[in-house]
Amino acid sequence: MAGRPIAPRLGRALLLAVFSALFVLYVAGPVAWLVSSSLQTEAQITAVPPNWLPPELNFGNFDAILNAAERQVTYETRRQGDPATGGFLPSGAANLLPSLWNSLTVGLWVAALNLLLSITAAYAIAVIDFRGRRATLYTVLATRVVPDIALIVPLFLVIRNLGLINTLGALVVTYLAITVPFTIFILISYFEGIPRDLYRAARIDGCGHWRALRHVYLPLSLPALVASLTFAFLTSWNEFVFALVLTQNVAAQTLPIVISGFVMDFTTSFSFVNAAGVIAIIPPVVMAVLFQRYIVSGLTAGAVKG
Amino acid sequence: MSGALERRPGPRRRPALGYDERNAAILVFPVVAVLLVVAAYPILYSFWVSLHDIVLTRPLRRPFVGFDNYLRIFDDERFWLAVSRTTVYTVVTVAVTTLLAVLVALLLNEAFPGQRILSALLLVPWATPSVVNGLMWKWIYDPTYGLLNALLVQLGLLERYRAWLGDPDLTLLLIANAAVWKQMPLAALLLIVTMKAIPDDLYRAAKVDGANVFQRFIHVTLPALRPGLMLVLVYETMISIRHFDLFLIMTQGGPGDASFTLSWLIYVETFRSLRFGTGAAMSYVLAMATFLLSWALIRWLGKRI
Repeated sequence: MAGRPIAPRLGRALLLAVFSALFVLYVAGPVAWLVSSSLQTEAQITAVPPNWLPPELNFGNFDAILNAAERQVTYETRRQGDPATGGFLPSGAANLLPSLWNSLTVGLWVAALNLLLSITAAYAIAVIDFRGRRATLYTVLATRVVPDIALIVPLFLVIRNLGLINTLGALVVTYLAITVPFTIFILISYFEGIPRDLYRAARIDGCGHWRALRHVYLPLSLPALVASLTFAFLTSWNEFVFALVLTQNVAAQTLPIVISGFVMDFTTSFSFVNAAGVIAIIPPVVMAVLFQRYIVSGLTAGAVKG
Repeated sequence: MSGALERRPGPRRRPALGYDERNAAILVFPVVAVLLVVAAYPILYSFWVSLHDIVLTRPLRRPFVGFDNYLRIFDDERFWLAVSRTTVYTVVTVAVTTLLAVLVALLLNEAFPGQRILSALLLVPWATPSVVNGLMWKWIYDPTYGLLNALLVQLGLLERYRAWLGDPDLTLLLIANAAVWKQMPLAALLLIVTMKAIPDDLYRAAKVDGANVFQRFIHVTLPALRPGLMLVLVYETMISIRHFDLFLIMTQGGPGDASFTLSWLIYVETFRSLRFGTGAAMSYVLAMATFLLSWALIRWLGKRI
């Protein structure tokens, strides 16, 4: 590079700077605007022209929706508006905190069970040479070819017949059906990359399959395990359609359902909707940035192979 | 794969279920059991439902009607309207997502200070829940206080505020824009992986032959990007054709019937009209259409790109 004339290098730097700026504006701009709006009062977000940045840091919106249960939001009280911020509280605001716990509970169960179920199956398919292993793999993957929308009706009927409508268990089981095939796929491609000699050595030393899995395969596949946990949690945290159909009230509704209720109630002030959106966006975004390396390698595992 | 050696017929016959087979069965059983209950059984059950006239408002009457539900779909005006809306939405979403993803992949494939931060930022839209994505863009498009109006007016590009999502000509495109924002990162990641696999020698050879940046992109990068592009096109098509979340949150099929897509039709038919039989039949039609379309895309693109 050192010997090249300076003009093209400057041109390249300028081009990269311009495109980087456009990229940041496009990717982060909308989220930044959401966060900025969530920190402004109803009066401030409805100003024309708008306040690009909040005039002062004001967590009133968050306080109002998170503590709505104590304020007894009724039709009369919400018509007077929230005194702190001057907006109309969403009528379902009291459900926000319970739904946050529901989302968390379901997400953690799905992440844990997804991994437990997938590890053993992926090990068997990737390592053990048994009759029907290809058939098993294709069957597992085929369940994901059917679009979710085609599963909603029958799943609703199955869950209803089992008496599980409006329970967290129904969501956990449903999300496992979504996440397990993908996790198995990732883990298989990872397990197959572990040298076969390690497996043979373990078997010669007298290890059975369970010990080979525990002492050889699991310690070596930590990145794939982290990626799988993250995917399962994020899928469960973000999922909307199944939760919409399978849950009815605060006992099992997850965060996306309660928030969509905020959005569709057109009397609600946007300041509270924005604050709820920020609450829902924080955990997945933090996880994504924290586990970036694992996520990228996991997401692209299939692409490299084929 | 290493089984070839062990499979050679030896003097002793292998037992019907050896150690390996027994263990494999135990290890695989839990997954198969779960998937049978929550995936395989519902898929078959759905087919059974689609052959019956099941209306939830008349729960005790569920006559078998054969393929009548399917035939009725094709006589339904709403179905053909939904097909055209879905087509517009899918074509726009897939085209713009792919185009943007190629640009982003080209940018992030370069080595420059700050590249790692940008790569981390790329995951933000991907991780954003679709409900939040919907409310965020709805707020940006807001007719009285939205960012889009404010920006355009301040830049002098627009005279007065407009109700963006209320304009039937724009609704589908604006929803598509929100969808592109969320779907582009995964597409870009897949393309970056494919780009990383292109040997540097190819670029050096092209440079020696006097190819400029654009010629190098057309003749080296693009052909090598084929498998990645195919994956992106097929995956994005499958996602877009059955997309639902944004339509419920942003427009509920409206204004009028401007965003009345297939998945919205299925939702309305099933959970508002409570006609489960025709709803299930529509789901099956959509599933088969998606399946056939991706199969056709793979064959067509395999030859073309």
